[in-house]
Amino acid sequence: MEEERKGAIDIDSVRVTFTARGEIVEAVSNVDMHVKPGEFVSIIGPSGCGKSTLLNIVAGFVKPTSGSALFDGVPIRGPGSDRGVVFQQYSLFPWLSVRKNVEFGLKMKGTPASQRETQARTLLGLAGLLAFENHYPDQLSGGMKQRVGIVRALATSPQVLLMDEPFGALDAQTRAVMQEILTNMWQQFQISVLFVTHDIEESIFLSDRIYVMTARPGRIKAEITVPLPRPRTPEMTYTPEFIGLVQQLKALIREESLAAMGSELKEGGLSGFGIEVGPRGVEEVV
Amino acid sequence: MHARKQPDEVLAPQVVVPHPVLVKTKAAATAVRPKVGLTPHQLRLSQWREPLFSAVLWVVSLIALYAIWHFGTLYRWEFYIRFTNIPTPGDVFQKLLEVNRSDKFATNVGISVRRILSGFGIAILMAVPLGLLIGRYRAARDLLMPVFEVLRPIPAIAWVPMSIMLWPTNEVSIVYITFLGSFFPILLNTIHGVTGFDPVLIRAARCLGAGEGRLFWNVILPGALPQIFTGLAVGMGVAWVSLIAAEMISGQFGVGYFTWEAYSLVNYAEIALGMITIGVLGLACSGAIQLVGSLLMPWSTHSSAGRK
Repeated sequence: MEEERKGAIDIDSVRVTFTARGEIVEAVSNVDMHVKPGEFVSIIGPSGCGKSTLLNIVAGFVKPTSGSALFDGVPIRGPGSDRGVVFQQYSLFPWLSVRKNVEFGLKMKGTPASQRETQARTLLGLAGLLAFENHYPDQLSGGMKQRVGIVRALATSPQVLLMDEPFGALDAQTRAVMQEILTNMWQQFQISVLFVTHDIEESIFLSDRIYVMTARPGRIKAEITVPLPRPRTPEMTYTPEFIGLVQQLKALIREESLAAMGSELKEGGLSGFGIEVGPRGVEEVV
Repeated sequence: MHARKQPDEVLAPQVVVPHPVLVKTKAAATAVRPKVGLTPHQLRLSQWREPLFSAVLWVVSLIALYAIWHFGTLYRWEFYIRFTNIPTPGDVFQKLLEVNRSDKFATNVGISVRRILSGFGIAILMAVPLGLLIGRYRAARDLLMPVFEVLRPIPAIAWVPMSIMLWPTNEVSIVYITFLGSFFPILLNTIHGVTGFDPVLIRAARCLGAGEGRLFWNVILPGALPQIFTGLAVGMGVAWVSLIAAEMISGQFGVGYFTWEAYSLVNYAEIALGMITIGVLGLACSGAIQLVGSLLMPWSTHSSAGRK
């Protein structure tokens, strides 16, 4: 049975470069990353470190310049409904009702209308959205929109859910609730999740494993296994274990944020103030 | 309306343990009270107050316009603008009754409407598909846009002489002018509707399994629809401008011809009647577009962002 479960992601020595204003910029440099079937894995790092780029490689939106990206052992060639994607900007179709949004992927698959409706309503019921099936996205709050986004991505029964800072635009309270809803759905559907975030607590609370990335060009700086038991509860965030992990991750990310800021400051020509700018220099000033 | 109802938290399923840091805000929860002190009667009144106020303002603005016309012609105002020869509302009303005794006026109106419908209809059939293609595909853009960019600055009215030479009958050339007037607003707005599209929606559709063909029909067309309808509204306005001008210059029949003929014959009441008829027809046409738009896009009634 175990071998039949799908949703494995294998990224090996992947490098991504792009050209900006005639210069070649390396966004991701030599990254190895693996997600086992059913695993919840987060990528965390300073802004602009290429974590979204990695997610987009798996989604099929970005082709690696070199290296290999496999999904269930098959090279990724483009986007497909075997990988559900949840975007930060909700990305619901404003002209479709909540239910029609959820049905969209099934419609593309050619599922008959009556069956689509049943499946969509079942999923909406699980997310507590059935009462809003005929509403349009503009009538929903941010948290509700993102629940629809998750349900829509799950509707085609993907083997993995790819989430790009999905709760970044939500307020703290809604976000906490959404994290629990996501954990519940993940356990129920038994799929893998690749989750991009810059929120340390969020990544610990949700994940089995966390990849910490360096500032651009993005590399894997550390890989941390979260030993907290499941199901996770909000009380766990006060255990010494959790706090220890937060401290560990904060230290790792602080180094990288300073490095990222250091290079920006240097580009801005601030070195003229007599401060030695760079990871060290900023740290001394701060 | 919608800002008020956000039952998000009410419906979040089970297991929601409040974040300990936030628990001390218990008092805040009780602070949210329903509106008290209003009887159902007062509530109903407050519900009607806003639309009633709007309706009053509408009536006031229309009455003001009528009053200027009425008193201007009654006292023959003359201060730079001259009401000396302007027909009174009564004259125009009499004229309306008079022209309806024969079917000449009705025929003119019918012909103008037919020209608008055919010119505008052909413009929709051509400009929307072309706009979608140009907006979506670089090759279509590179192939077609140079021609359109060269032709676009020429006003439809400037085409009148050429159009008469170009087309076999006068009738077709007037329809062509009408078509031309509405073609470019519809085309440009459709293109803009596609290019200004939120790319994340295309990505979302892609990873939900939409191929190019389905993407076009299920995502790009509905996504561009609000902008297309903006184009239709603008296009309809320009179509009327072009039609009336064409009828006045080259015309036989039509409301524009009726109005110009009245001017030549120094029939003041008929001039005003022609103008009012054109106004009413234009209003009806843009109303029809709005109606079709709200039927086709029920979602768009839920966002009126800039309105205060």
